[in-house]
Amino acid sequence: MSSVEARPVGWNATRVGIAAALVAAMCAFGFGVYHAAALLRAATKTQVQRPTETRAAVLPGTMYVEQSGAIYRFKQGSFVRITPEDGWTQPAISPDGNWIVAVKRSLDRSDLYLLRPNGRVVAQLTHNQSRDIGRNHWAFYPRFGPDSSTLYFSYDPKDPYNSYRVDLAIFATKADPPSSPAVQWTVPNEYTGGDVDPVPLRDGGLIYTKFSIDDNSNVHSQVWLQARRGSPGVGLTKAADDCSQPAVSKDETLLAMVCRHGGLQSADLEVASLDVAGRAIGAPAPYVKEKLVGSPSFSPDGTLIAFMAPGDRGGPFQLWTVAPNSAQTPPSQVTKNLDLDPTSTPNWTT
Amino acid sequence: MYFPRAWKVIAGFVTAGITGLAFYFLPLFQSAATATVNTGPVSVPVPNPLPTTTQPFTVLLLGSDDDAKFPQDRVNTQSMILVRVDPGTKQATMLSIPRDLWVSIPGQGMGKISTAYQTGGADGAIAAVESNFKVHIDDFVWIGLEGLVKLVDHLGGVDMLVTNPVLDDFYPADINTNDPYGYYRVAVLPGAVHFDGVHALQYVRSRHGDLRGDFGRSERQQQLLMAIKARAAHINAADLPELANAMQGELKTTIGISRMRQLFSMAGDFNGPNVHRVILLPPYTSEGFAGGQDVIFPNWGQILPLVHQSFS
Repeated sequence: MSSVEARPVGWNATRVGIAAALVAAMCAFGFGVYHAAALLRAATKTQVQRPTETRAAVLPGTMYVEQSGAIYRFKQGSFVRITPEDGWTQPAISPDGNWIVAVKRSLDRSDLYLLRPNGRVVAQLTHNQSRDIGRNHWAFYPRFGPDSSTLYFSYDPKDPYNSYRVDLAIFATKADPPSSPAVQWTVPNEYTGGDVDPVPLRDGGLIYTKFSIDDNSNVHSQVWLQARRGSPGVGLTKAADDCSQPAVSKDETLLAMVCRHGGLQSADLEVASLDVAGRAIGAPAPYVKEKLVGSPSFSPDGTLIAFMAPGDRGGPFQLWTVAPNSAQTPPSQVTKNLDLDPTSTPNWTT
Repeated sequence: MYFPRAWKVIAGFVTAGITGLAFYFLPLFQSAATATVNTGPVSVPVPNPLPTTTQPFTVLLLGSDDDAKFPQDRVNTQSMILVRVDPGTKQATMLSIPRDLWVSIPGQGMGKISTAYQTGGADGAIAAVESNFKVHIDDFVWIGLEGLVKLVDHLGGVDMLVTNPVLDDFYPADINTNDPYGYYRVAVLPGAVHFDGVHALQYVRSRHGDLRGDFGRSERQQQLLMAIKARAAHINAADLPELANAMQGELKTTIGISRMRQLFSMAGDFNGPNVHRVILLPPYTSEGFAGGQDVIFPNWGQILPLVHQSFS
């Protein structure tokens, strides 16, 4: 029997064509199912944009923020990059608006630089690189004093007796190059990581975050006020409240801070009245609760507090604001799809 | 038997669709198929399947420094966390076992519990934990250094709250390096952060600058687990093949596909207050010296009632 004779009755080119088309359609369907399944994947990775590719709500004044190692100036709802993506972080503008001091971070050290507000580097203020990497230093959290000349920052002095101990202490120096030798202001509790977040006050005192570890091995943070260099200072908050990242309003009557109350997954933004002379604060009021809040900053006119928190579905950090005189007002998300560094406090000026 | 032509066409499309799905989930099936054969010299017995999805189960999480300093599958477990999940009550308990805990290791004698995996693979680690802590372990998950980095990166990073500065001048530079014995300096700044994989690893692995040493690290590891859980709540079954593909060879587990799906679907149900974290600080343990090395002695009189309460 020949092969032609083996074909079923009615087998012809049309049927072959239809069968081929059906097979092709089935293959396409299977291919489509494969890709449809892929479309069901959750969007876990936020499509991060550079700040310069976005616009955001207009806020009063000018703000400096950091993303991916570059400092951006945020004004009138748009961002301008003032440094390259090269390890720049934690910008702080001087009260007179003429200078920015910022951290430039490398793999195993960081240094402070003096910049113009347009991002032009004027001077390197610290030199923390050594031939021996073990003798390198960190410098973080620079803040100008009210005189726009004194500079406060966290720095890790080496412990000559134990190279494992690396605790940050707050130092002060003059920002005008050539800078004078820095003097140590605070004495950190050992093996806690040290003192951070200096906020210089008009009377020459300093508010900052101090860490401690209790007998049950719990880490605590307190907002600390120190009147003079080397003085012991007082805790403005209780150890159990775990408050940190203080921000002080321009008139020094309000203190904003982040408190985690023993929690490890969320922190509240709280605001309290501040009595610098009396070295005390009023009862803190929670403004943002059960959110991963960081780095509050008062607007220059005192009408808003900016802070960092993840977007609606978690992920990278965005800029938010809340009014400091209305605990009932919900916070407002200013940016979307950015990946701002929440350890770099938004620095807000006129 | 005669099938109408239309049914044949429908069957063809259904087959094509199933084939498409099968190809999509292929990495997951491959991962599941190889999960229990990479666990060391002795294959791990397939755990008993759960009769119902609401029955509590216990998973042993193992983390190892699997860099070039160590022969493959001859690594210690730097991190051991026992996790009890109760889907019915939506409660979970995490118990960190100190790596230097001085215990009786089956077939080996007295030793640090971290060495049980080195000599006996996952079987050995499970046996050591089961015999000392008097618990039944249903499943285990083992992950190496790069595996953790990939996992966090694949989830799009994790949000965490760093309680205090973590500064370490002797952090091991043993990933993607020619000198696995080198060190570099690490500074993880406090506050809310969004970690990528490398920085999350630095946070949970560093210990030199912490007054609490390995106990502080254990707390940070539990914190990372919670952060991973929070991110996992945002993913679904369609994400698993890509995740399995990314983790090929970096993660070993006996957890089957069905329980994995169950875990991911439950992740959002376990809120902070429903997750209990246990670290065996004094009086549960005490520091000491045995076998020529610094060790941590267990106080079983304190530990076992605690474990019985949480894991039985």
